[in-house]
Amino acid sequence: MEIKKTWSNIITNHSHWVSFVLLLIVATIVNPSFLSWSNLTNLFTQGAIIGFCSMGMSLVISAGMIDLSTGAVVALLSGLSVNVLNSTHSILLCLLFCIVGGIVVGLINGVLVTKGKIAPFIVTLAAMSAWRSVINQLGQGGPFSVDKTMYTSFRNIAAGDVFGIPNLMIYLIVVSIITSVIMNKTKFGTYIYAVGSNENAARLSGINVDKIKNLIFAYAGLMYGFAAFLLASRLTSIQAASAGTGYEMNAIAAVAIGGTAMEGGRGKIIGTFLGILILRIITTVLIMANVPPFLNGLVQGIIIIIAVLAQTKRKK
Amino acid sequence: MFLELKNIKKNFDAVQALDGVDLKVGQGEIHGLLGENGAGKTTLMNILAGSFPPKSGDIIIDGKIIEKMTPKKAMDMKIRFIHQELNLCNDLKVYQNMFLGEELYTKVHFIDDKKEITRAQKVLDSMNSHIVATDKVESLVTAEKQLVEIAKSLLFNSELIIMDEPTSALNNCEIEELFEIMRDLQKSGVSFIYISHKMPEIFGICNKYTVLRDGKFIESGNIKDIDEHIATKLLIGHSLSALDEKFVKESHQSDEVFLSVKGITGDGFNDVTFDLHKGEVLIVTGLQGSGCSELSMSLFGAGNITEGSISVKGKDIKNNSIKVAMESGIGLIPKNRKERGILPDLSIKDNMSLAYYTVKHHKLFVDEKEEDERFFRQQIKMNIKVASQENVITSLSGGNQQKVIFGKWFELDSDVMIMDNPTQGIDVGAKFSIYEIIGNLAKSGKALLVFTNEYPEIHRIADNIIVLYKGRIKGRLNRSEMSEISIMEYSTGTRGEK
Repeated sequence: MEIKKTWSNIITNHSHWVSFVLLLIVATIVNPSFLSWSNLTNLFTQGAIIGFCSMGMSLVISAGMIDLSTGAVVALLSGLSVNVLNSTHSILLCLLFCIVGGIVVGLINGVLVTKGKIAPFIVTLAAMSAWRSVINQLGQGGPFSVDKTMYTSFRNIAAGDVFGIPNLMIYLIVVSIITSVIMNKTKFGTYIYAVGSNENAARLSGINVDKIKNLIFAYAGLMYGFAAFLLASRLTSIQAASAGTGYEMNAIAAVAIGGTAMEGGRGKIIGTFLGILILRIITTVLIMANVPPFLNGLVQGIIIIIAVLAQTKRKK
Repeated sequence: MFLELKNIKKNFDAVQALDGVDLKVGQGEIHGLLGENGAGKTTLMNILAGSFPPKSGDIIIDGKIIEKMTPKKAMDMKIRFIHQELNLCNDLKVYQNMFLGEELYTKVHFIDDKKEITRAQKVLDSMNSHIVATDKVESLVTAEKQLVEIAKSLLFNSELIIMDEPTSALNNCEIEELFEIMRDLQKSGVSFIYISHKMPEIFGICNKYTVLRDGKFIESGNIKDIDEHIATKLLIGHSLSALDEKFVKESHQSDEVFLSVKGITGDGFNDVTFDLHKGEVLIVTGLQGSGCSELSMSLFGAGNITEGSISVKGKDIKNNSIKVAMESGIGLIPKNRKERGILPDLSIKDNMSLAYYTVKHHKLFVDEKEEDERFFRQQIKMNIKVASQENVITSLSGGNQQKVIFGKWFELDSDVMIMDNPTQGIDVGAKFSIYEIIGNLAKSGKALLVFTNEYPEIHRIADNIIVLYKGRIKGRLNRSEMSEISIMEYSTGTRGEK
């Protein structure tokens, strides 16, 4: 009985690992070539941009909040970053724009939540609608396309590789490690969990809750900025109306599958990291098994429910 | 109704919560169910009310064994469980809450508000309350909410009413009113199971008693055959009397003023002035609504202060905020540990390190080794019982959780400790270790400001007492002048400064 208990504990506490390994096995059975190097690296390159967003989302959700503006912010910044690149011919300035722009947009969310005392759901819902509208207006229906002069060098940022390891894969791993260190090893990380766990008690322990929330949204914005930069580099042409659509939902899904509690206080970055890969594996397996792509969402939905069910079991 | 619970057993995983408990309640009986926290009282009542099934044992009502009790079945049998925590929807009106799930309908199956309001108001009036059935629950004070809960159970002609600590939010007058109502109902044949820690209440209202300890049935009988001392002994298993008259408290008070409060006014309190000395335990007490909790929060920088001044060790505190208060050496053990004290998802050692981080730790990264050291230091000091400091704090008992929160401030070495009901919701044994900790703190030269209403507690720890009434200081007593009666007279405004 003791052994049985430990096993069921391990399974519920590491549900994201369990589902990850199970999916890997299923994928390999469906198509043995799944385990090829090119296919495995593909999981990372296709998951990287959503991955950056998911890292930001992890912080937001761990503090018991939510951010729906992800996709619209990515579209806004990536569209404008193409303009910056075209007019300055400087990749560095383009990156700088995405970083500063992301932080500013994130802080706007944060200030509305903390000073305006509006629920994060409402603030970011409004931001989602507003930023999408702004970029649509600026793009006037047409794409933001990178000039020929900058095309190759800019595209190489996302499409390049180092000794056969795709750049995007490296970026994703690095940002995951950094975010994980922030959450586990810094005061800021502890404060985030504290705010998500019990805001009152956190405040009475001397934590400046508003400041922490602002920093969280700023970090999330920064992550969206990087995602926007990489998206622009990857596609070299940004459609204002469609770029980044559904990113917030994918990011929330990755965080939820990864075992972060929606009410905040609990969650691990490694879980989110695996969550991103799990979402990609599902898509890949379905393609390999010739399942109509329309059913992708159905399977994803079922996986999310199973993941969260495993969490609620753990809580009891 | 004649109720019999026979040999009830229940376990939660490895913990044996109930181990063969018997309980008999006759018609028109008020039956006191006694036991420390964790003795299994609430678990037993949950089984009776059908919240979850027992592992074994029988529920027998009027001679019939009830198979598979459910909440619905219990209600149909006219059993009502008034839980310790309020189960009301704040956004609904009083009568809507009272009829929730059992609405009255008109012929076309709309809700019959008119009928509901009339019937709800009748019950409320019969209880001599001033609650209006169409008030929003949100607008009521806690005591009134408690009365609504009770009114709800009276609405459906219940035959057995279970009350789990119903008086925790009531003042003495309200308690007496509640008892009046209970006695009236008793005469008409209604039975009660009454759970309380407060001996005067048990002896004031009950006629039978059953004692549980550690999930086991200990004793049952007539209240008139025992007294409070015997009951307490049964409860804890060994003699531990807080009201030991021979008890002598050492005083460690010195002349050095640590906290000086001059004429402060804020939300809920008015023109409050006092000095708190090094080594002193100063009690602030007062009934619900006297401004005690507002004052404690404001002194910690978490509430408004519109007038007056506060200084710590001679230094004026300006622009009081939580951070400023903490940096000047004030610590707060808040009341209501669940809502304000603990961070339920965080580990024990994180909970203990938090205050230190916000004030003294200026590095970006946390230091796991330091966290462990901090924890072990306090563990030894206060004898905290834990399996591992990495576990979440909710894995601990209430008393040990409170010790962790104490430890959080010890690590900050705060000179002035404000404690708001520091023994709330922890059992008798743990209370005494908290008193010991408070004594040691005073001895080591800290200044303590303790907000509490429990007289045995005041008797144990107080050097001096301030009594608040309607936000103003009504009485100041020292240890030799205090008695339960004098404090109550000041608290109720019958005596004291104008």
